Amino acid sequence: MKKKLSPFYIVSIILLSILTIIFIFPFYWIITGAFKSLSDAIAVPPQWWPENPTSANFVQLFNNPALKWLTNSILISGITMILVCATSSLAGYVLAKKRFYGQKILFSIFIVAMALPKQVILVPLVSMVSYMGIHDTIWAVILPLIGWPFGVFLMKQFSENIPLELLESAKIDGCTELRTFISIAFPIIKPGFAALAIFTFINTWNDYFMQLVMLSSRSNLTISLGVATLQAEFATNYGLIMAGATLAAIPIVAVFVIFQKSFTQGITMGAVKG
Amino acid sequence: MKKKFLSMALACTMIVSLGACGGNANSSSANDTSAVNTEEDAANSADGETGGDSTGTESSGDITEITWWAFPTFAQDTAETTPGTYEQTVIDAFQDKNPNIKVRLETIDFTSGPEKIIAAIEGGTICDVLFDAPGRIIEYGKSGKLADLSDMFTEEFVADVNNDPLLASCKAGDTPYMYPISSAPFYMAFNKEMAVDAGVAEKIKDGWTTADFQEVITALKDKGYMAGSVFCSGQGGDQGTRAFVANLYDSSITDDAVTKYTINDQGGVKALEFIKTAVDEGTLLNGSAYAGGDDIKNFATKLTSFTLLWGPGTQNSNQSLLDDNGIEVIEVPFPSEDGVAELEYLVNGFCVFNNGDNAKVEASKKFIQFICDDPEWGPKNVERTGCFPVRTSMGEIYTDARMKEINSWTKYYSPYYNTIDGFAEMRTYWFPMLQAIMNGDKEPKAAADEFVQLSDQSITNAQ
Amino acid sequence: MKKVNKIRMHETMVSYCFLAPALFFFVVFVLFPMGMGIFTSFFKYTMKEFTFTGLKNYTTMFQDPTFLKSLRNTLIIVVGSVPIVVIFSLFVSSQTYEKSAFTRSFFRCVFFLPVVTGTVAVTVVWKWIYDPLAGIMNYILKGAGIIERNIMWLGDKKYALMAIIIILLTTAVGQPIILYIASMGNIDKSLVEAAQVDGANDFQVFWKIKWPSLLPTTLYIVVITTINSFQCFSLIQLLTSGGPNFETTTIMYYLYEKAFKLSDYGYANAMGVFLAILIGLISFIQFKALGKDVEY
Repeated sequence: MKKKLSPFYIVSIILLSILTIIFIFPFYWIITGAFKSLSDAIAVPPQWWPENPTSANFVQLFNNPALKWLTNSILISGITMILVCATSSLAGYVLAKKRFYGQKILFSIFIVAMALPKQVILVPLVSMVSYMGIHDTIWAVILPLIGWPFGVFLMKQFSENIPLELLESAKIDGCTELRTFISIAFPIIKPGFAALAIFTFINTWNDYFMQLVMLSSRSNLTISLGVATLQAEFATNYGLIMAGATLAAIPIVAVFVIFQKSFTQGITMGAVKG
Repeated sequence: MKKKFLSMALACTMIVSLGACGGNANSSSANDTSAVNTEEDAANSADGETGGDSTGTESSGDITEITWWAFPTFAQDTAETTPGTYEQTVIDAFQDKNPNIKVRLETIDFTSGPEKIIAAIEGGTICDVLFDAPGRIIEYGKSGKLADLSDMFTEEFVADVNNDPLLASCKAGDTPYMYPISSAPFYMAFNKEMAVDAGVAEKIKDGWTTADFQEVITALKDKGYMAGSVFCSGQGGDQGTRAFVANLYDSSITDDAVTKYTINDQGGVKALEFIKTAVDEGTLLNGSAYAGGDDIKNFATKLTSFTLLWGPGTQNSNQSLLDDNGIEVIEVPFPSEDGVAELEYLVNGFCVFNNGDNAKVEASKKFIQFICDDPEWGPKNVERTGCFPVRTSMGEIYTDARMKEINSWTKYYSPYYNTIDGFAEMRTYWFPMLQAIMNGDKEPKAAADEFVQLSDQSITNAQ
Repeated sequence: MKKVNKIRMHETMVSYCFLAPALFFFVVFVLFPMGMGIFTSFFKYTMKEFTFTGLKNYTTMFQDPTFLKSLRNTLIIVVGSVPIVVIFSLFVSSQTYEKSAFTRSFFRCVFFLPVVTGTVAVTVVWKWIYDPLAGIMNYILKGAGIIERNIMWLGDKKYALMAIIIILLTTAVGQPIILYIASMGNIDKSLVEAAQVDGANDFQVFWKIKWPSLLPTTLYIVVITTINSFQCFSLIQLLTSGGPNFETTTIMYYLYEKAFKLSDYGYANAMGVFLAILIGLISFIQFKALGKDVEY
């Protein structure tokens, strides 16, 4: 593109820089806070850098089954991610590209279901999963979240951009429906798919309330639940919260980095397509 | 009826979906495995076996499994020790004596635990034994979710406790639902160093008056120390501010019979006006943005000179922070016009959820009796709660002067209103009232009237 | 006509095969409990009773001053956040998309960081930033001479809701930016170049060529951001509990308080259904407005 130093350009650079600081700061504060003692973490004036770095928070965390909690969190988020991506990319694709009976009403129901607060379905859900005998297992968290339709909506929107001509020519070439989806449609919606994977992973990870009502046994907790049980009444241990958040950030960043590549691929894909 | 409807409708969907998640169902459905020991009910529990020894092992071979949900009320060996470690040693001791009962411990936290309990009660996944305070427990009892503990309130026990308000706090009407173990008053705390520096340390003592308090906070402010806050954000710790308001000019939150709210009387309104003036002058801090825990944090990090939310347990859980900051604490009852405080207090106790299995209910009762009354573990457990035993026969289990003095404040216990109908709803009006007054949105009188009207309404709503 | 029907039948068959896995979980774990939730909204449903009361929960709602206040607060949050989120994320992604891969990745990461950090940890930090005594916000603004006295950001009704909206914004733009950048890959580069050769200016290129292919993503972002803003809850719970004096109580927070603190499920569920209807209506308008150009 044209490179010129218009005032608009300069203003946007300054704006972006300020915002960058605002957005990075909480993350920075949490990572450094994880290595501070409680007194240092809440010291006034603030310690911008841990003056007496300590691993005590992590040591205390790992006195508990923190590794198990972390594993549970990763399993729950990972399995949910895979299943949501699989089910919703199929569903989103046909909702965008096929004409079938019940399509409009079905899609409307999906949207309204998302509009209904989760709190409303939570109590019946707890009865259901306990009836099914899966309460206090990771499946009690995973299965309900797979049903949550935001992935379907997202994949439908990304599938809108698949050119119909491509699909038709595939049909003429004798591709089966599934084949068409995998080899024609999927590469085009891959960036959306990658975004969905990341979002699902993170949203599941952070769905504290669902985990709270579904999991009870100490060994079945997730990392966020586990850290919460380490807090005394009226004495919040910020160092532990931050250590927990730091640990949580590792798998999340890993997932982000893995799928980050798919954006780039999608971008080249777009260019080739044209 | 609604349960039936649910199950019916569920049954259809389940058949299909169970296939999807095969063998992953684990022990949570273990309740089916424990035999229904109906012959055991009522018969063996009435004799009040305080020793907790295994007289009830007649159904040997049948293991009854119960689940205990524990808030972090018992102190662990050190602040770093995993929560539940101490509880597990209690369980082990109990299981040694009662090999046919197995106790599963699950730890919950104060921030999200209450919500988890409510969801679990309605969703049918609630534990058998819960350790909590009357405010919540009695509400579950009134809703018919708890087992009647009448058989545990033996004559011997009632005589030993010898404290009518405390016993009443464990009951809904005449039915006891909570078996108490320990109690402690809520009071306030000052930073000693700051008080000495301001030359008012001597004034801060049991029997002080509102005028003394005024003098103290003014002196602290003049010395440049930040005042403690009348915190009113979040949900916890509201009892501290309620007791503070009630004491300032000898008002009370409810009438003596605990049938209606009375904090809008002359003394109550005067107290609220006092707070508003003090906030404007800077001798009290507007706590509209502070939760109870924040206020304690401010106090424990030397940011503020006093806090309205303190108790023996609070001191314990914040000890390391106090030490780090070199803070010495003066503990004192709330100031009042006549120098005779009326304190609110915490009662710790256990309730048993009635999950429709008599064997579990009986096993749970036996377990809580062991925790509270075992000659060896009872006093130990009381000490871990940081509070004072409800059984007078346990005597003074603390030897230090500080705890002895606090123990003497039990004479200030005021009528216990946390079991009033609609208590939970009343709590949702209290902090907004304080916020409205301190922010100047409402006049103290109008705000108090509105609070009383809404809260009285909540009594009828809940009946 | 008959042939069309036949094709359509075939498409329907195929479609439902594709939809089956998603539908299965949706029906069992969302639709069914949802039905239960809606069903119970016509009952006085508390821990101790379950009696049919018809529409009473719904009529009570509109006489409940706290509910009306929470409705107002919710609407303020939606109006104050949705347009900013959409415009800002579009701005950032279009500004950075054409830059080098490094710049692109950098900004994508920066704006996504609050999402990675997680709500609980982010609110811990913001709570500290806003702290009336020790907060950095007062520290900076006082240092810069903008304010004279410490301000109680979360405790003063003049600022509380705005303070919440600011945090909401920082956590809400991450996903839209990712989505915009992802869908910009679908813009046909040759068309853009052709237009530029024809002398179209930046604005024309954006409006005529890029915007149409961004429309499906925009629709998604608008609808989802609307839903999320309407359902703003954990920030409120962790920061203000609805205070001061209900000035930051949102429908979701009030609903949560009724259901999980006071176990007044029937009333809470009625509020939830009302919220769903409200969001549904707004989404319908959004679909009509933004979905038009999407080929159907």
